[in-house]
Amino acid sequence: MEEKLRILEDLNMIYIRQIALSLKDSDIQKKIDYEIRMREGACKLLAACSQRDQALEASKSLLTCNARIMAYMSELQRMKEAQVMQRVARRSFDAGPMDDRSPCKGKVAISDLRIPLMWKDTEYFKNKGELHRCAVFCLLQLGGEIFDTDMVMVDRTLTDICFDNTIVFNEASPGFELRVELYSCCSEEDYSAGSTPRKLASKLSSSLGRSAGKKMRAALEPGACSTTSNGGGATILLPVPSVPGPKYHLLAHTTLNLSHVQDSFRTHDLTITGNEECSYWLPLYGGVCCRLAAQPHCMTQQMMSGCLRVKLGGEPQGWTNVYGVLKGTNLFCYHQKEDMEANVEPVLTIGINKETRIRAAEKDPHSKAQNICITNQYGGEEVTHTLAADSREDTQRWMEAFWQQFYDMSQWRQCCDDLMKIELPSPRKPAIVTPKQGSLYHEMGECVQTPFYTFTEAVAEFEAIDCHKIKPSDTIEPYRGFCCRIMLSLLRSELCCPPITMTGEVTLMRSYLTPPSTGPRDPNHFCHPCDQQPSLDVNFKYSSIN
Amino acid sequence: MSFIPGQPVSAVVQRIEIHKLWDGDNLILGFSIGGGIDQDPSQNPFSEDKADKGIYVTRVSKGGPAEVAGLRLGDKIMQVNGWDMTMVTHDQARKKLTKKNEDVVRLLVTRRSLEDAVRQSMMQH
Repeated sequence: MEEKLRILEDLNMIYIRQIALSLKDSDIQKKIDYEIRMREGACKLLAACSQRDQALEASKSLLTCNARIMAYMSELQRMKEAQVMQRVARRSFDAGPMDDRSPCKGKVAISDLRIPLMWKDTEYFKNKGELHRCAVFCLLQLGGEIFDTDMVMVDRTLTDICFDNTIVFNEASPGFELRVELYSCCSEEDYSAGSTPRKLASKLSSSLGRSAGKKMRAALEPGACSTTSNGGGATILLPVPSVPGPKYHLLAHTTLNLSHVQDSFRTHDLTITGNEECSYWLPLYGGVCCRLAAQPHCMTQQMMSGCLRVKLGGEPQGWTNVYGVLKGTNLFCYHQKEDMEANVEPVLTIGINKETRIRAAEKDPHSKAQNICITNQYGGEEVTHTLAADSREDTQRWMEAFWQQFYDMSQWRQCCDDLMKIELPSPRKPAIVTPKQGSLYHEMGECVQTPFYTFTEAVAEFEAIDCHKIKPSDTIEPYRGFCCRIMLSLLRSELCCPPITMTGEVTLMRSYLTPPSTGPRDPNHFCHPCDQQPSLDVNFKYSSIN
Repeated sequence: MSFIPGQPVSAVVQRIEIHKLWDGDNLILGFSIGGGIDQDPSQNPFSEDKADKGIYVTRVSKGGPAEVAGLRLGDKIMQVNGWDMTMVTHDQARKKLTKKNEDVVRLLVTRRSLEDAVRQSMMQH
C-alpha cells in the first residue's frame, strides 16, 4: 500500500512539473520546485525529530508547504485554462471587447491577530483536571500567497490566543479574499499507533479516566472528528507519507475581504469546525480580532507625472510651468522635477478625490491642446484649477490617468480616504525564552559553534549523514538533532518573513546574560518599561527574507 | 464620562498612534499612566467621576513619542491595540502598552474637550 502511495506521489510531482513546463512559466516552476524540496526536507525532519516541539514545528512547515503546492497547482490549472480559452477564442474570431479598465493592485496587511477563548470557569479558576495543551497556528491565504504565523502553545491559563506576526500580501486586487485558518494539534502524549506499547504501559499505571478515554477513542478513529489532516484535500493529490508525528487539524476559519478593511481593530466571526470530542479542540469564543489594513498602489505610488502648465493667480494669460505628480488623493505641482526629488514643498496641491470633477474644456484657440479643468469643493466654495498639457497626446494621457485614479478609488473605497499605515516589525533581538527541560543543548552538554549553514548545505549534509556517506561519529544522535535544529530554523526563516525565536539555545547563553532588572514600581506613577532586555550574542545569525 | 458597570459605554474617541522609540535596549513611550480596577479611584485628579476606575494619562514627557502623537495629560485610555482598557488592573494596562515586540501602539483615548467639541458642532447645525 505504501509503495502505491509513493508511486502516486511521484506521479503527481511529475504531473505538476510537466504542467509548469508546458506553460513555459519559469517563475511558478521555480516556486513549485522550491516548495517540493522544502516539503521533502520537512518530511525528513519530521521523521528524524526526537523532541516534541521540533516535531510540531516540522509538521507545521509540512502543512504550509502542502498548502502552497496546492495553491500553485490551482494557479497552474487556471493559467492552463486561460491559455486554452484564448486559443479557442482566437480560432473562432470571437475576440471580445478590449479589456475593461482594471483596478490597481495594493498591499494588504493583517496584524495583531487575537482569538479569545472561553474556558469553563471550573477549568480556568479552580485549575481542575489535567492541563490540556494544544499547539496552534494560523494559515493565511490571499490569492496565491500563503503565510503561516508562529506556533503558539495554548492551555487553560491563557484567555486569548495571540499571534504577534504582521503578514503583508503584496499584490492584492480590491476583490481579494483573505482566508484565515486556525490549525491546532493536541500536544500531549503521542497518540500515533507506533507508540502503543509505551502508551499501554503508562495507561496501565493510571486508570483510564472518562476524558482520556474519549480522547483515545477519538485519536484511534481518524475519521470521527476530522475530515482533513495535513493540508485538507491535499491528501488525495499528495498522499502524506505515513510519518509518525503530530498532525494539525483545522479548528476554525473565516474569510475577510475589502469590506472588513479598516484603520482600526475589528472583530470578525469565526466558523468553527470540529467539536468537543476531538483531541485538538479548544473552546473558542467565536470571533477573531485583528487589524486589516490595505494600501492600494494608487495611494502610495506615483500614478502619473509630467510637465504641465497651470493658471496661477487671476490673470487669464498667466500660465506657469510646473511638474505635476499624481499620487494618492492629490496632484502635486512642483516648480521643477528636481524639487520633487529633493522633497521641496510643491507650489500647488490640487485635491483629487471622490468629490472632484474633472473635464476637458473646449479647445482654446490660442493653444493646440485642450484645457483640463479640475473642480473641487472646499467647504462650500467651488474652486476650479485650469491646467494644460503640452500636446494633445499628453492631455489624453493625463485624462486617462485621472479616469484610472477615479476608477481605482471607486474600487478600493474606504482605503482611499486616507493612507492606512502598514508597519513591518523592526528586526529585533530575539526574546529570552525560559529554556525547557531536556532541550537539545542539555543533551549535547557543550557549547558548539557552527558556521551559518545555507538551507541547501544543511539539507545536503543531513542527507549525507542519512545515506551514511559521512561516517557518523559517536555523537550521531545529538549531531543529527543539531542539524535538525539548524534546518528547522532555516526552514522557518525561509518560509516566514519575520525572524523567529529559537527555543532551547538560551541554555548556552546563560552565562553571558545579566539578569533582567526591574526598577521600582509605583502603581500611580509609572513612567516607562523598566524591564531591561540583556544583549544576546546569538550563534546563528539568520536574516529574515521579505 | 460616567458609566454604569455592565452597561455599554459610548464615548467620543480620538485615535492616537504612538511610535515607540528605541533607547538602547528599551522601548520608551514617553508617558505614565494611573488608575486601574485595583487602584483607588478617588485619588485620580483627572477623572470627572471619582468612581471611574479607568486608565488615565498622568504624565506626558515633553517631546516624547506620546506627545508627538497627540496624547495629552488627563486623557482616558479606552483601548490599546484592540485590547479594552476600561476594566483592567494597572499592571494589565502597563503590560499591554509595553510589549517588547510592538513598535506601534494604537490607542483610543477620550477627553472632555472632545465631547464638548462634538456637542458644540452638533448644536450649530
